[in-house]
Amino acid sequence: MTISKLLVANRGEIAARVLRTAKARGLETAVLRHASEQEGPAHVIADEVVTIDGPTPVAAYLDIPQIVEVAKRIGADAVHPGYGFLSENAGFVAALEKAGVTFVGPTSDVIDLMGDKVRARAFVEERGFPVAPSAIEDDGPATFIERARAVGYPLLIKPSAGGGGKGMRVVRADAALEAEIEAARREGKRYFGDGRLFVERYIERPRHIEVQVMGDGKGNVVHFWERECSIQRRFQKIIEETPSPALSPEQRLDICETAAGIARAVNYRGAGTVEFICAQDGTFYFLEMNTRLQVEHPVTEMVTGFDLVAEQLRIATGEGLSAAQADIPQTGHSIELRICAEDATADFRPSIGNILLLDEPRGEGVRVDSGILDGGKVTTDFDPMLSKLIVHGSDRAQAIARARHAVQNYVILGVTTNTGYLDAILAHPDFASGDVSTGFLAEQADALTAPGENVDDLLMAVAALSDERLVAEVMQISDMHRKMGGWRN
Amino acid sequence: MRRIFQIGGEETECWLAHDGSRFVLNTPEGVLPCRLDPTTSPGGFVLRARGLVRDVRLAAGPESTFVHMDGRTYEVGRADPAERLAGSDGGASDDRIVAPMPGVVVSVAVKPGDIVAAGQPLLVIESMKLETTLAAPRDGVVAEIPFAAGDSFGLKDVLAQLAPEED
Repeated sequence: MTISKLLVANRGEIAARVLRTAKARGLETAVLRHASEQEGPAHVIADEVVTIDGPTPVAAYLDIPQIVEVAKRIGADAVHPGYGFLSENAGFVAALEKAGVTFVGPTSDVIDLMGDKVRARAFVEERGFPVAPSAIEDDGPATFIERARAVGYPLLIKPSAGGGGKGMRVVRADAALEAEIEAARREGKRYFGDGRLFVERYIERPRHIEVQVMGDGKGNVVHFWERECSIQRRFQKIIEETPSPALSPEQRLDICETAAGIARAVNYRGAGTVEFICAQDGTFYFLEMNTRLQVEHPVTEMVTGFDLVAEQLRIATGEGLSAAQADIPQTGHSIELRICAEDATADFRPSIGNILLLDEPRGEGVRVDSGILDGGKVTTDFDPMLSKLIVHGSDRAQAIARARHAVQNYVILGVTTNTGYLDAILAHPDFASGDVSTGFLAEQADALTAPGENVDDLLMAVAALSDERLVAEVMQISDMHRKMGGWRN
Repeated sequence: MRRIFQIGGEETECWLAHDGSRFVLNTPEGVLPCRLDPTTSPGGFVLRARGLVRDVRLAAGPESTFVHMDGRTYEVGRADPAERLAGSDGGASDDRIVAPMPGVVVSVAVKPGDIVAAGQPLLVIESMKLETTLAAPRDGVVAEIPFAAGDSFGLKDVLAQLAPEED
């Protein structure tokens, strides 16, 4: 089977990134655009831009019948979903299948399985892969305390109906278990009207490490090594890197082979990511599997030299993977920074505005995957991520140095961005030593948003001297004084 | 000539003069001789002040100047004290409802000319996935509702304006 025309059912930087590879492979390309949306890099690259509509821009990108209709109307024989939106929607895959359009991604049954966190966890556990020890009260209320005890300490009690950390309690010793269970139950009832509980092993200062996998749907699965994604705020990753500074060579091989084994167990087709939570001693447990290309996939491309979108397209056409496991290296070190329109000093409030000046960093080992153009407008219609800055170095120290130099020279004027905050993270001694956990950004919040050297006088001088009306008025007065003989040159 | 500059929420009033050979910025902290010369980069300048030489990139919006200097980006708000005085009309600050954060207008309940009571809902906005109803701060007459349902607005945009109270 061949693909001759690809529709990218996405927007922003990922649409541009997918389109570049599709065009390089000689495909005809099309992309979507909501009527209210600014022109972005994807619209410049694509051969064809199709306008979609909906009550909100996001609703349009989630409109399955409309997007399937677009694919048929323009004669696209395949759809790449990017990430987010419909990329993990089994209904979308089924609708495309019915319309005779190839979905560049896994089969709908695997999307369904991995999309259900409880079923996915049970599936992985049954096949002997590591999941964090846990106990669900509903599985047998009479034996709950006994099963909770078997999970081991420290453990975390969570309300089954909970969320947002409410009612969660850490128990470090058996003597406190029963009292804490009762307290958690009261809180669960108060916050959620539901006192049922769930217990799992509590991991102190956890890391988030994930593994890129790729399968051809015919039983062949390879991994493209791991990514360390512990730099998160409110579960949102903002800096990712590979290799992880935390893993020994043996641990690295173990976690990567475990991920490939999980993908093999579902006869995985396409690109996927298996996420793990890792304890400081290197013990790791399955968290979830994302059945799509990830935002942070470029760091993997930088160290392996593979174009993951090209691999996705090869798999979709049945050509299969271009490499065997032994051919996939992990060379040097790569770091990705997510550039977002938000104010790190004001609780990460999203910012909007017109991009008055854009100058992206360039240089050896620097890659920018951008979703914005100079003169564009940033609105709150979509996610605040504007672009991704990716660097590669021969080792981690060089990668950090290149990332700092590049982010300091990333000029985006007209809208507040997090570039200064990202640089502060890169400059932090704990980041440099690799001693981080998913709690790092919250623990270091004050240090990371501390104001720098006071340069207010310099800034006011710049603002004054670049204010043409002000300068003209001042010069007029100066000129008048000179004519009056008050000044001599 | 005077300007009010806003950096990180703090306002400073300055005046700029030219002594025949150079510009001098007078700030509450002191006198700062300074000069700014363009470079070949877009928005690029060299600032000389306080004995320092700094490469800067800048872009001026209608109300702020954005400055990239030493790897950091800053926003400097600008206001002309004369215009601010003229534009204020002695109006009370409770005449305006200003956006606490950027977002989208969900619905508008009133139109200019409507008589409203304190606490009466004027419009519903959505910011960061939370809907908020904005109510009239006092009894009065609606003078202006600059945005319609579906419009995006920015931080500190005026979302509703009441007519000034008559004495």
